[in-house]
Amino acid sequence: MKTQLEKLKDDAITAVKDLVSSPKLEELRIEYLGRKGKLASILKELPTLAVETRKEVGQFANEVKSAVELAFMEAEKAAQAIENESRIKSEWLDITAPGAEPEIGHLHLVTQAMEEVLHIFTRLGFSRSRHPEVEWGHYAFEALNVPKGHPARDEWETFFIAKDPENPEVAMYEDDNMAEMVLTPHTSNAQVREMEQSELPIRMININRTYRRQSDITHVPMFHQFEGLVIDKGITIADLKGTLDFFAQNFFGADRKTRLRPHHFRFTEPSFEIDITCDQCKGEGKIDGLKCRTCKEGWLELGGAGMVHPNVLQAGGVDPEEYSGFAFGWGVERTLMMKSGINVGDIRVLYKNDLRFLKQF
Amino acid sequence: MNILASYNWIKEYLKTDLSSEDFAREMSLKSMSVESIDHLPGKFENIVIGVVSEMKTHPNADKLKIAITDIGSKKVQIVCGGVNLAEGMRVVVALPGSKVRWHGEGELVELVETKIRGEESFGMICAAEELGFAKYPAVDHGIWDFGEISEAEAGTSFVEAFGLDDVIFDIEVTSNRVDAMSMVGLAREGAAVTGDKFMAPDIETIKEIKNEKKPLTVSVKDSEACPRYMAVVVNNVKVEASPAWLQRKLLLAGHRPINNIVDITNYILHEYGQPLHAFDYDELAGGEIVVRAAKDGEKFLALDDKEYELKKSNLVIADAEKPVAVAGVMGGRNSGTKANTRTVVFEAAIFDSINIRKTSRLLNLYSDSQLLFEKGLSVKAPELALAKAVELALEIAGGEVASEVYDIQAAEYIAPVFSMRTDRIRKLLGIEIQNTEILDILSTLGFEAEGSGDNYKVTVPYWRDHDIEHEIDLTEEVARIYGYHNLPSKIPTGAPPTGLEDKALVWESNAKRYFCSAGYTELYGYSFVSASMLEKYGLNPHEAVVLHNPLTSDLTHMRTSLMPSLLSDIAKNQGQVHSAKIFDLSPIYITRKNDLPLELAQLVVAEYGQEDVPHSFLRLKGVLTGFAKKAGLNISLERLTDDEKWHPSRSASIMVDGEQVGVIGQVADKYQQAFGINKSVVAIDFSFAKVVLKMKKIRRYEPIPEFPATDRDLAVVVDVEVEFLELEKTIKEQSSIVESVNLIDIYRGAGIPEGKKSVTLSITLRAPDKTLSSDHVADVMKAVEKVLKKQFDASIR
Repeated sequence: MKTQLEKLKDDAITAVKDLVSSPKLEELRIEYLGRKGKLASILKELPTLAVETRKEVGQFANEVKSAVELAFMEAEKAAQAIENESRIKSEWLDITAPGAEPEIGHLHLVTQAMEEVLHIFTRLGFSRSRHPEVEWGHYAFEALNVPKGHPARDEWETFFIAKDPENPEVAMYEDDNMAEMVLTPHTSNAQVREMEQSELPIRMININRTYRRQSDITHVPMFHQFEGLVIDKGITIADLKGTLDFFAQNFFGADRKTRLRPHHFRFTEPSFEIDITCDQCKGEGKIDGLKCRTCKEGWLELGGAGMVHPNVLQAGGVDPEEYSGFAFGWGVERTLMMKSGINVGDIRVLYKNDLRFLKQF
Repeated sequence: MNILASYNWIKEYLKTDLSSEDFAREMSLKSMSVESIDHLPGKFENIVIGVVSEMKTHPNADKLKIAITDIGSKKVQIVCGGVNLAEGMRVVVALPGSKVRWHGEGELVELVETKIRGEESFGMICAAEELGFAKYPAVDHGIWDFGEISEAEAGTSFVEAFGLDDVIFDIEVTSNRVDAMSMVGLAREGAAVTGDKFMAPDIETIKEIKNEKKPLTVSVKDSEACPRYMAVVVNNVKVEASPAWLQRKLLLAGHRPINNIVDITNYILHEYGQPLHAFDYDELAGGEIVVRAAKDGEKFLALDDKEYELKKSNLVIADAEKPVAVAGVMGGRNSGTKANTRTVVFEAAIFDSINIRKTSRLLNLYSDSQLLFEKGLSVKAPELALAKAVELALEIAGGEVASEVYDIQAAEYIAPVFSMRTDRIRKLLGIEIQNTEILDILSTLGFEAEGSGDNYKVTVPYWRDHDIEHEIDLTEEVARIYGYHNLPSKIPTGAPPTGLEDKALVWESNAKRYFCSAGYTELYGYSFVSASMLEKYGLNPHEAVVLHNPLTSDLTHMRTSLMPSLLSDIAKNQGQVHSAKIFDLSPIYITRKNDLPLELAQLVVAEYGQEDVPHSFLRLKGVLTGFAKKAGLNISLERLTDDEKWHPSRSASIMVDGEQVGVIGQVADKYQQAFGINKSVVAIDFSFAKVVLKMKKIRRYEPIPEFPATDRDLAVVVDVEVEFLELEKTIKEQSSIVESVNLIDIYRGAGIPEGKKSVTLSITLRAPDKTLSSDHVADVMKAVEKVLKKQFDASIR
C-alpha cells in the first residue's frame, strides 16, 4: 500500500507538471484528491491493515497528500501567472493620448493678483476694507491735503460726476453750493474714511477700482490700486520700509532689489517712490550694450508711499502729536506686469473680456 | 516735470569730482530721480569738422552734388543733397563708422563707405537734425552751415568743436520742487546730496548808464495776480544769432535757439528757473507797461501765430493800447524781439500760480514759463535773474542799460519760519540722529535754524518758500538727505489692530473661487458703459451715475446692471469661442438723491451656445443652489412668466427667505437680438449685495445611517407641465421611509405621446431602526404608483 501511495504521488506530480491551464488542473485535482479520487480509493483500504502498520501508513498517506496538494498549488500559481501576463498585455494603454483635463474656470488675472497681494499683507495683520469708488471730492482731495485749485489735482486726470444725468455738461463741482463728486483717481480716499470709522490702531488694506482719464497701451481708464494704511503710536519710516520690503520679497522673489527714493505726494510727508530692479535687464540698465527699453537705468517705479501727513491725520480725527502712520498706494496692474513678465503689449487687453485671453490664466 | 541737465553746466555751480553715474545715483536716492544718463562723446564718434574745398555736379543726379571736403588728414569725396552747400563752407562730416539719424527720423544708422548713384561717398555731410539737434534753426533741406558759429579747423572732432564732452541727465523734478527745475537749483541739491561745495552765482547788480534814458512807465493794476513786477530797458542791442556756447547749452537743454535776446531769456529760465520776457521797446505804445486784467473778448495774437480771445480772468501785460503778452504764459507776435530790434525791455515778474494755471487751461496755451509759474515761484527770485539777463545782454548783444530798474512789489518779503522739534524728527525716522547732524543738513539746503536743545525756529530760504508749508516738511528734508537707504527696516509691532475682515469682501472672494472651480470663467470689464448699451437692455440712462468729463463717448454711464456688458461680451466672443460658461461679480451703481450712489455687488453667471438649453438651465441652477448651500442661503425658485427680459417658459425668480433677489433663465429673444447674439443664452442675474450679510459657513454633523438603503427606479409618463417638485412631494408623503426622490431623466419624443413626458425617478428608501424587508419596500412602491396614477394620471412604464 505504501508503494501504491508512492506511485500515486509520483504520478500526480508528473501529471501536474504538464498542465498549465486552470480548468484542466481542477479536473486533475479532482481525479487525485477528490472525494472519490485516487487517493481516497487507496485509503479505503486503510482499515484492513494491522494496527501498527495502519498508523505508519496513515502518516505516510498524509505526507503524500500534502506533497500532492503543494504541487497543485504551485501549478495553479504558475497557470495564474501566465494568464495574468497575457491579460496585462491585452490591457495595453496609449499613455501618449492627450489627458482629459477637467473643465475648470479661470479667475481674471487682476482678481488673481489682488488675492495674492491681499494674502501677503494679511500675514502682517492687515485687514481688507471697502471704501467708495464714487466719492466726494472731500475724501479724494481736500482731506488729503489737496485743496481746491491746487495744481496737484491736475496730476490725477480725474473723472467728475455730472450734476444732472440729463445735462452732463454741468459738473457738480461747478455749483459752489454742492460738494463735488468724482470717480476715485486713487485708493487714498480710504485713508480718512478708515480713520473716521475705525478704532486705532489701524492696519488696513483697500484694494479697489480707480479711474483716470487716460487710455493708451500702458494706461486704462479703469484700473486698480491697493492702498495700505498703518496708524499707531510710534510708527516710523523703518516700519514702512520693513512692510514694503516684506511685500516685495514675497511678491517678486528674493532676487529682485528695491529702493526707496524721495518723491512728492500731498498726503504723505516724507513721501517716497519705491523702485524695483528691472526684470528685463536685471537692473543693469543695458541689454547687450544698448539702453534697456523697459526701465530707467535699471529701475522700475513700483509705486508711491510715505508717512501720513499730519494734516491728513487731523482730517481723520487722529492727533498727530500722539500717533503717526504710513500709507502706500500702488497700481495692481502695474505691479502684476512687473512681476510676471506677462508682456501683454497693450494693457487694455485686460478689460476687453476676450475669452481667448481670459482662459490663458 | 522733467528737465534735461548738462553735467558740465551743473558743475559751473557745484565743485565735484564725482562720476556722472555716482552723481546720478546720489541724486536719485536723495533728491530727484535721474531717469537717464546720456554720454555725449560716444554718440559723436567719427564725426569731424570739414571744409568744402570744391563742388562738382553729380553726373547721374540733378539734386545731388559732389563735395570734395577737407577733413584735416585728407580730402574726401562726399555726395550731398543739401541745398545750401557751397564751396568754402564749414560743415559737420559724419565719417564711415559714425552713427546718424537720417533726416532726423527713425533709428540711428551706422554709416559705411558707399557709392551713391555711381559716385563714391566717404560719409555724409550732416544737417543739424541728423546729429540730434532738431531744434537748431536750420535751412530747409539744407546742411548745417557750422561756420555760422565756429571757426574750428578741418579735422577737429565735432565733440571738441561744439563743446560736447558732456553728460546729459534727464531728471524728473517733483511738482512741488520747481526750484530744482534749474541748473542752479540742481547744483544746490547736488551739493546737499554729495557733500560737495555749492558755488553760488556771482552776479553784478544792474548799473544804469546815464547818457541816454529811454522813458517807460510801469504799473501793476492787480497786485494779487502779480505780486512783483521788475523791468529794465537795454538800448542799442544788436540782435543776431547767439554764440556757439549759448546755442549749444540751449540745444542740450531742449530749447530752440532763436536770437541772442530771446536765447538769454531761455538761458536764464533754464539756469535759474525764473521765466523772463523781452519786449521790443519800440513796439510798446505810449512807452508804457500795464499789468492788468484782460477785457472780456479782447483779442491777442500770440507768438505761436494764433489769435486768442481773452476773458477778464486772464492777466495781461499791456501797453497803452493793447495786450502785448498773456502774463507768464506767452508773449505777443508783434512785441517780441526781431532782427531790427534796437531797444529791449526785460521783464522779470512773479504771477499768481492759480491765475496762470486757469488762464493756460482756458486758452489751451502752454509754455516753459507757464509750467514754472503755475507751480509757484518766490517773489525774491526775479532780482538775480534780471541782473543776470542784463549782464549777458551787455556781453553778447552789446547795448547799455537805459532805464532805472522798475520794481513794483505788493508787499515786503517776509521769509517763512517754522518751529522744529528735533526729538519729533528722531521719532518719525526711528533713528538716533544728533541735533548737529540735523542742523548741518538743513544748513546745506539753505535753511537757517535758531534755537537750543530740541527746539528750533527754522527760516526757509526764498527758493523753497512755496513747498515748505509745515514742520513735517523739515523732517522730510532731514530724512532724505540722511538717506532713506540708511534707515533700518522692520515690521510694525504694537497692539493688535482693531479692523476685522470685511465680510462682504470675504464672500465675494469665496464666490469667485466657487464659480471658477465649477468651470466658469470670470469676466472683468469697465464699470462704465455707453448710454446706448443701457438702452439696448431696456434701462434708462438717466437713472445712472453719469460722467461730466468722459474720456470717450462709449464710457459715459456707470453700470446699473451687469447684463448689458455680459450680453455685449457674449456677442463679441461668439464668433471665436462658440460656447462658454462665464461669470462676473462686480458692483453696479445706483443713484441716490443728494448722496453718493450705492455701490452694490451684483453677480451674473451665464452659459451661451450650449446645445441642450434645458440642461444648461439645470446646470446653472445646480451651480447656484450649490453655492447657496455653501453660503447657508435658503434659496428657492418661483416660475416667472411676465418679465419681458426673460423667456416666459424658461425663467424663474430666485428667492432668498421669500424675497426676490434675482432671476435665472433664458434671455428673451428680443434682448438676445438687440445685442446681436445668435446663440441662446441662459443666465443668472443676482443681487449679491442683498444677501451677502446672510451668508455664513454652515458646518452641521448628521450621523451616518446605521441601516442600509434600498433604491427603486420608477418611470412614469405624465403631462409635460407636471413639475418634479410636485412628484417628489407626493411620493414622499406616501411613507416615512422614502428618504429621497432623485430625477434620473426626463424624456420627450418618439414613443411618448404628444404633450406627455417620461420621467425616470430613483427612489431611496430607508428606515432608521432596521433593515427593510422586500415586502415592506414593495408595499410602499405600490402605494407610490397608485397615488401617481390617481393624482397625475400617470402611466407606469
